[in-house]
Amino acid sequence: MAARLSGKVIQNINSTFVGGGVAEILSRMVPLLGQLGVDARWNVIKGSDEFFQVTKKFHNALHGRQERISAKDFELFLETTQKNIEEFELYGDIIFVHDPQPAGLVVRKKELGKKWVWRCHIDVSHPNEEVWNFLQSFVIQYDAAVFSAPGFSHELPIRQFLISPSIDPLSDKNKELPQETIDAVLGKYGIPRDKPIITQVSRFDYLKDPVGVIQAFEMVRKSIDCRLIFAGGTATDDPESDKVLAEVREKAGNNPDIHILLIPPGSDIEINALQSASTIIVQKSLGEGFGLTVSEALWKAKPVVASAVGGIPLQVKNKFTGLLSHGVPGTAYALRQLLNNPEYAGWLGENGREHIRYNFLITRHLRDYLLLFLSLDHPGDVIRL
Amino acid sequence: MIQWLTDNWLKIAIPVLAFLACFVVGLWVRRVVDKAFERWRARTKWEGSQLIAKATRRPFLHWFLLLGAFIAIQVSALPPESKSIGAKVIGSLFVLSLGWLVIILSEQLLKLYLPKVKATQPTITLAVNVIRVIIVVVGVLMVLQIWGVPTSPILILIVVVLLAAALALRDAAPNLFAGFQLGATQQIKVGDYVKLETGEEGYVADISWNNTHIRVLDESTIIVPNSRLLQRTVINYGHPLKNAKEPFHFHSRTHLTELTGLKAKNLRELADVLKKVPDTVIYHHTHHFLEQHHYLTPEPSNDFAVWVTDALGDEALGEGLTSVDTFAFPNLEALRERLVGIVEEHLSKGSNFREVMPGREFHFAKSVSVILPTPYVAHDLREFAEALRKISLGSLYFHIFESRLRLSRGLNDFSIWIKDSLGETELGEEIARLDPYTYTLEGLRSTLIQLIEKRIK
Repeated sequence: MAARLSGKVIQNINSTFVGGGVAEILSRMVPLLGQLGVDARWNVIKGSDEFFQVTKKFHNALHGRQERISAKDFELFLETTQKNIEEFELYGDIIFVHDPQPAGLVVRKKELGKKWVWRCHIDVSHPNEEVWNFLQSFVIQYDAAVFSAPGFSHELPIRQFLISPSIDPLSDKNKELPQETIDAVLGKYGIPRDKPIITQVSRFDYLKDPVGVIQAFEMVRKSIDCRLIFAGGTATDDPESDKVLAEVREKAGNNPDIHILLIPPGSDIEINALQSASTIIVQKSLGEGFGLTVSEALWKAKPVVASAVGGIPLQVKNKFTGLLSHGVPGTAYALRQLLNNPEYAGWLGENGREHIRYNFLITRHLRDYLLLFLSLDHPGDVIRL
Repeated sequence: MIQWLTDNWLKIAIPVLAFLACFVVGLWVRRVVDKAFERWRARTKWEGSQLIAKATRRPFLHWFLLLGAFIAIQVSALPPESKSIGAKVIGSLFVLSLGWLVIILSEQLLKLYLPKVKATQPTITLAVNVIRVIIVVVGVLMVLQIWGVPTSPILILIVVVLLAAALALRDAAPNLFAGFQLGATQQIKVGDYVKLETGEEGYVADISWNNTHIRVLDESTIIVPNSRLLQRTVINYGHPLKNAKEPFHFHSRTHLTELTGLKAKNLRELADVLKKVPDTVIYHHTHHFLEQHHYLTPEPSNDFAVWVTDALGDEALGEGLTSVDTFAFPNLEALRERLVGIVEEHLSKGSNFREVMPGREFHFAKSVSVILPTPYVAHDLREFAEALRKISLGSLYFHIFESRLRLSRGLNDFSIWIKDSLGETELGEEIARLDPYTYTLEGLRSTLIQLIEKRIK
């Protein structure tokens, strides 16, 4: 497939080389495409701090959060877009634009031709209408759009593809760790392995429902002795996270079986070790972009109890690769089922690992991108290469 | 002169008589030997006997003439030096005649037998030349020995040359001998289907003096040194099976999911959208789980059944949609009608007007199939079974599921080829009767291989 893209330049455009999920994906994907012989390149647009504050607001609004967006914000976005349109070099045969920040570059499509694809990495299932309508006026000028989950798509006059994100099985967060490393991390955080461990790994964010996780754990504890680890970090751009952490600590009280761990950024090996040491992984989110922590857990063949939100139902096929829940009592019930039926839990975990192997590893992601680029020249539903 | 003849007639007559006597004896002996040889030929029916009889007839008489000349010289009144020289000349002529006969005979026998062991023309020429050189060298050495020339240095030189040659050909020699052995024993012949210890397999296309050429599934050729073929375990399945009119070219398939942007939050919307979406949407939601969850037994149901059960909580309808036998439908339109019919029948009973929670809507998608060639090609059932072991699950999926419903061929590709191109109607129909939806893809692969291997046996 890669050979069929020979001679074409894939120009990836986003707003930053470092930090954030998009930069992380591109930093892995661009070299891998290169190794397959595809000429993939990566450029970033320019923008002032004010511009990025506006796009952050757009980001939150598209996620469905309440944001005050003024006419001045839209103006600033358009001004910066115009500047980039004038200064930015567009040389690709396929111009692959990631997320809303550079979306406006597409106005040069009429002049340049080429194939244009907009890659949406965020959950736009319930967006702020004003921002979505503003953004949509650019999106519909593309040849195709790509979303991470079916629920993120909208009725658009252009082709829309589903390409889920993926995990890298060789990264620190997902590679197999020696038992000594796992023991060392548990030792560091003072977690004994005397009873089953239930773990949720996520930021201290209301959307991850950490208090709900503790409530479900306390319901389980009435009949089964076990531990809870809530491991996560706080984000500097999220003023709420400290507040959430304080609430979680208060809710946990002095229960010695609840371990609230504030993990510093970049501690991938530690996250890996905590997941590997766990009996069950929970992801009781109220909302998720995609929820790749579920894939990380399933790749370690761990039984998972997760909420049916965002991209989680793609990863957890209920009763086949994990259990889906819709509330605190449902989560507690699923946890009890798994703790009391380790063979069933093991079967779900093994199925989950296979599910990730075939559907959520970076190799599948890479193949989907190749198919996407090839499909741009083939409008039909059946493409013969 | 007359006086000299009168005085020495006895000295002349005795050698002449001796020579003539030998000639007569020679003729008589040749006749006796011819008859004895004739009887032996009739008894053994050896095809080489004719060659020996023809080749030796004239030299045999020459040898008696040489014997006569030798006796005549020895009984003559010639001086001893002349007798000695005469003996050496006659000895040399005998060696040359004998050598010539051995060369002729060995050449004819090699040309008779090497083709029977499938030796190629270059191999025969090489063998004939080797024999010629050996006999000429031995003959020259014997003649030199007769004339009293020291042969030891020449022998040493020959040994050195032979050692150098052996050293240069140390890699080729085992293959050469193995080639002779393969030909002589007929363990592996051109046209046999063989499987090597390393896993490669295919038909033997050629056995040369040093290598064996095996044509494998992707139509490339593996060249195996003959010696390796003898040293390793090789399974020889024997001769080719019936060749297909047209070879089967395996393709593979992968897909990209295209979103339609359409969604349903209740059964009414599900039925309405189902009626208007393209066939490819129906195909996607009733098939994609086969690939996505091919490792699971039992596999999850079609997407409609899963959504109705999990998101709407309607287990009765979920069961109804799960039990739709996709295999029973000749095309996607008929399948769509059945699905819509089940949902509408359920609605008509007033059973379920619930709406799902926000975020749990059914999102309609379709598959964009990308069909790719693979290197695997089968010309007969044996190659076909072997290719089935090697192809990807995507390839198996394409030829079994996609070709039947999505490409509207009515039958899977394998059955079509086996029936039409191989003429194996019974096997083709047996495969067509398999319900692939009740197998995992790996289970389906094993079942197909078993059916084909049973037929081969």
